[in-house]
Amino acid sequence: MRTEQRQNTKQNMHLSQQNQANLSAHPECCPDSAMQRSAAPLYLSALLLLTACAVSLLAGKYPLSPEKILAGNAMQLRVLLTLRIPRTLMAVLGGFALGAAGFVFQTVFRNPLAAPDMIGVSSGASAGAAFAILFLPASAAAVTLSAFAGGLLAVGIALGLASAAGGYDGRLRLRRYSRRTASAGSGSIVLAGIAVHSLAQTVLMVLKLTADPERQLASIEYWIMGSLNAITLGRIPFYCAVCAIGLAGLFLLHRQIILLSVDEAEARMLGVPVGRMRLLILLLATLVVASVISVTGVISFIGLLAPHIARLLTRDNRLHTLTLSGLLGGILLTAADILARTAAASELPVSIFTSLLGAPFLLYLIMGGNGGERHDC
Amino acid sequence: MTADTDWNFTSDTLHRQTTASPFRINYSPTQVSASGSDATSAESHVCLQVSSLSAGYGQSRILKDVSFCAKQGEITGLLGPNGCGKTTLLRALCRQLPFTGSCCLNGRPLEQLTSRQLARQISYIPQRSGIAISMPVTDVVLMGFNPVLGLLEQPSRAQKVKARGALHAVGLESYAGQDYLTLSEGQKQLCILARTIVEDASLLLLDEPESSLDFPHRHRIMELLTEIIRGQDSSCADGNQLNEVHRNQRTLFPGKAALVTLHDPQLALEYCGRLVLLKDGVCTAILHPATDSLTDMEAALSEVYGPVRLRAIEENGGRSLILLPRA
Repeated sequence: MRTEQRQNTKQNMHLSQQNQANLSAHPECCPDSAMQRSAAPLYLSALLLLTACAVSLLAGKYPLSPEKILAGNAMQLRVLLTLRIPRTLMAVLGGFALGAAGFVFQTVFRNPLAAPDMIGVSSGASAGAAFAILFLPASAAAVTLSAFAGGLLAVGIALGLASAAGGYDGRLRLRRYSRRTASAGSGSIVLAGIAVHSLAQTVLMVLKLTADPERQLASIEYWIMGSLNAITLGRIPFYCAVCAIGLAGLFLLHRQIILLSVDEAEARMLGVPVGRMRLLILLLATLVVASVISVTGVISFIGLLAPHIARLLTRDNRLHTLTLSGLLGGILLTAADILARTAAASELPVSIFTSLLGAPFLLYLIMGGNGGERHDC
Repeated sequence: MTADTDWNFTSDTLHRQTTASPFRINYSPTQVSASGSDATSAESHVCLQVSSLSAGYGQSRILKDVSFCAKQGEITGLLGPNGCGKTTLLRALCRQLPFTGSCCLNGRPLEQLTSRQLARQISYIPQRSGIAISMPVTDVVLMGFNPVLGLLEQPSRAQKVKARGALHAVGLESYAGQDYLTLSEGQKQLCILARTIVEDASLLLLDEPESSLDFPHRHRIMELLTEIIRGQDSSCADGNQLNEVHRNQRTLFPGKAALVTLHDPQLALEYCGRLVLLKDGVCTAILHPATDSLTDMEAALSEVYGPVRLRAIEENGGRSLILLPRA
């Protein structure tokens, strides 16, 4: 009876996913075959994400079983509510956010290697977390908040520097000729990001040097490795809300994100206020990433892998590709988290498994496992 | 002949004609000026008036005191050797470079326009579009609606129909769902031209649109450009539904002007009603290929390109010009 219900909800989710895909495609403009081809991966990955969620709720050091939960076993219910649900929620949302933000960064910078941590968000967050571990009263909430502030601060400095410097467009040509167009070129943002990133790394190094190697240094290292351990329901609402708002903004601005991938002069003549729009979109994407990694610690590769896998599956960059990047990110992180808490006797860093799961799949797609069609970023 | 015709557009006649017969060309030649000079009666048709424009990068001044005008329904060609300031001129008109002198677009100084107004009135077609990520051809065309769309607004159904009409006009209808990056260079340029059609701006700026194209595509692009600026966009002459949308959505710009930098003087002589010759940032001559005398044009072109011969072939009551190197 209950399983039947669950299946029904699954089906409903499917349908809504499918509808979404149909809406985002342009029904009258493209051939049906192309539309079906693009809807199928969305459909499948939504199903996969739901399955991963179900497994994630049940698997772990203390295995849960649906029968016992339904029978009202108090211990099982407590574990489900206080540990598994927040953890699964964070894995799904976090993975989705990292995947979608990765798509945005790669598109805006027109660089297939661009990742959310490129402009300093993760190193800033790490430095922030280390600061809290050393100097603030020991509480998980303080570490999270400090990491969030550190990530935003680093990106704020990077974008501010890039705007102030203006004009360097990354092609080794100085543009000093116009005050009006002194918006930050994507080249200067990347360079400023790299500078801030190394600054934050230095700060982190200094903090580590002053840390007590027995306890503080270990917790700094452990934080940086990233884990979904110790997430409780009380800690995440604020970050989930920030993340959701940022994501909503990115999805709404999708058309502008695509326009930003065009040459700057061309985009400007298409009516895009390039400098301001790029700043806004990068800030939204940073907000999304910072809100996730301040809770989980640094999680590598999802932001890089998920968008590439999504693009290899859909072969374009439309809204459904952004959605698919998110869904794939969610799957990757949820699956990696399941492995992280079940693979060994002690909990392992989740980043080990995100790349262990994602990289082979990406290689498979690149090697032509998906029909060997041509791939362009 | 055609190249130097003054087209008398009023929004009224245009509208009447389109409604009466969508298959007819919506421009009406009323007077053919004998000389190519800027007759006072043609003053109202001037779309872009550039007077003593100087511009450059940083301290260096590349363009010096350039003056010319671009008229509606006419392709104005910018000719000159590499480094003479053709692209600089286009960039100044796009307001990407600071300039001195005056540029009036439809009677308004360029500086007074907001970026959004500028984007609505000027359509810029780069040498090669900077689209670097996969997207369907339709989406590329739909980008052309961005200047008229709100920030979060999506293209409407009518706009999508219009985009399909534009793709039909350039002959890419069957590629609508295909990835833009998989198109050939010629098809890419046609696709960008379709985007320009839906943009419906009054001034088109093209930066060497022919540079990476083969022979048939060069002529196809220039023919299409001629159609577009005469308001004759051939998507009008197709089907009933498309037509309806076109008629309803057509803005009241009676015709457009195009300013095109070209590498190939032969192509310029064939399609441009007016040629602005640049050398070292100075405008050396303004030619009207349809009416100017061969010797004058030969002298002017020789000054820019080095010694050349200009020959004319008479056919069907018109003349075609052929440019050859000096024997």
